[in-house]
Amino acid sequence: MEKIFGFFSLSATGAAAVVAMSLSAAPVEAEEVTLYKNPQCGCCEAYADYLRQNGFTVEVKPTHDLVQISRDAGIPDDFQGCHTAFLGDYVVGGHVPINVVNRMLEERPEIVGVTLPGMPMGSPGMGGTKREPFKVYSVEEGVNPTVYAVE
Amino acid sequence: MTHKTLSRRQMLRRGAAFAAAPLLSPVHTALAASSGDPIVLRASAGQAALRPAPYGPTDVWSYNGSVPGPDIRVRQGERVRVLARNGLDEETTIHWHGIRTPNAMDGVPHLTQKPIEVGGDFLYEFDALDAGTFWYHPHQRSSEQVGRGLYGPLIVEEADPIRVDRDLVWMLDDWRMTQGGQISGDFGNRHDAMHSGRIGNTVTINGQIPERIAVRAGERVRLRLINAANARIFGLDFGDLAPVVIALDGQPVAPHRPEAGIVIIGPAMRVDLVIDMTGRPDDSVTVTDSFYEGLEYSLVDLAYEPDRLRATVPDWSMDLPPNPLAEPDMATASRHQIVFNGGMMGQTMMGGGMASMMGQMRQGNLWFINGKAATGHMMDPLLTLPQNSSHVFELDNRTAWHHPIHFHGHSFRVTARGGQPTRHREWQDTVLMAPEERVEIAFVADNPGDWMFHCHILEHQAAGMMGVIRVDAETSKT
Repeated sequence: MEKIFGFFSLSATGAAAVVAMSLSAAPVEAEEVTLYKNPQCGCCEAYADYLRQNGFTVEVKPTHDLVQISRDAGIPDDFQGCHTAFLGDYVVGGHVPINVVNRMLEERPEIVGVTLPGMPMGSPGMGGTKREPFKVYSVEEGVNPTVYAVE
Repeated sequence: MTHKTLSRRQMLRRGAAFAAAPLLSPVHTALAASSGDPIVLRASAGQAALRPAPYGPTDVWSYNGSVPGPDIRVRQGERVRVLARNGLDEETTIHWHGIRTPNAMDGVPHLTQKPIEVGGDFLYEFDALDAGTFWYHPHQRSSEQVGRGLYGPLIVEEADPIRVDRDLVWMLDDWRMTQGGQISGDFGNRHDAMHSGRIGNTVTINGQIPERIAVRAGERVRLRLINAANARIFGLDFGDLAPVVIALDGQPVAPHRPEAGIVIIGPAMRVDLVIDMTGRPDDSVTVTDSFYEGLEYSLVDLAYEPDRLRATVPDWSMDLPPNPLAEPDMATASRHQIVFNGGMMGQTMMGGGMASMMGQMRQGNLWFINGKAATGHMMDPLLTLPQNSSHVFELDNRTAWHHPIHFHGHSFRVTARGGQPTRHREWQDTVLMAPEERVEIAFVADNPGDWMFHCHILEHQAAGMMGVIRVDAETSKT
């Protein structure tokens, strides 16, 4: 996995790494997720199932206010995915691969969350064939999103 | 980190806490259009009391300072004359939705007229050929101009209308409001364009969040529903009442109960209902909108007055007289396939044209008709049809989303859905296609000119879902 860190997340990750190491023996607990989605969007349901298959408990909430919810969560318009999930203190926008989600939960960087903008083909829940690497961005308050991971 | 937004239901409830059951005002000033000076419709920024007191007014764009704009009423056959004045800070036009007009009166910027410049005006003038429920709105940057409140009803009364006790117009709209009670300025964002359009959080009837509407036991109401929302589809459930559909998009249809009792009305569409108020005095019945699963809400209560108007349901006819529409000749009709692509989850349905469409999507053009996304109102026609010839369009929705497809200048029969003939062969000017649905429409291309053919989810239209059909007067002579 190629990793690209922004300046801010780099420093945050360094601090979080110590914590993560001490916890690495214990399995990650089944986290509760609330996933907001457009009521007519099917791929978001598929992503919710993907999270469930990876041990999360997911509540899906249809909403017409997704753009505002994502914006309020700190994800700028141009970086929003097609649904927005809340996992504890973190937000996950769009079809972010599970290893990136887990990495964030393990490393616990001081960011708002991560987002995979748009609807890349071949990403979890989307179907189709992957056409290009997925750029997952970290979202931080008052900072332009930076690339968190490339998958 | 907060992710709480005000849901429409919360807003409605919040409204309820303060408003001690206000009655919905009757629709605005009705303007008769005949004789003498034209009606003036001035588009400008202003304010409207969309929310009940004690909330303050909302900044809107409106015609003559009211949302909806004035209720224009004429008798069938009369001439409509409207002087449009532009008091906005940008160009505009007025499109007369669903009523057949000469091409030059259709109000499409660049295609049928120069846009009305700031401070300018334009005289719209046409004969009301068809009776029915129509409406008007700008066709210039419609997503924002309509979305901020520029629209109004155009009612053409039958020479000999059916008998009812009251004739009501409900102009439905859907607003995306901020918590401060203003219109959210995020028009044109990519998420809306890519998904189901700009669906808001506050629904109004005739420019107000309604609490209850008074009715009388035994009363027969003709209810003209007009969906002026950018993107919201309504699925209205009238509870114990049994509404009868008598017209769709202004055109009479054999009176019938809506499927499953739910009145579906997509953006820009109209449904005329006859409703007999069969409840008892002091009863109340809730009208709910159940279109989006998991997001059902109460739209309004119909509250019965203490007295009873009559004891039995009247046996008056509900059949409207037909309008003078040309009947398509199905034996000689030319068939044309029109394929719709694009949007979220749409790639897998693109087939052969995928590479080209994906390229266009990177430019922000997200929706396609026959592989092309429109970037403005001027374009080569999708089809050129000889005047007075009959045609069947096979509409193929290869997307995961609903699309209300509007054809200007004509009404068409909806003849088949999913390969099966429709029961009522209804006349429409805007046909709602379900995701991945195939719909056939048939019509006579009898109105010469270049006509828009587009999705009336205004964000889909703006992101490319638009084309031109040319009805060619020249070729009819050969």
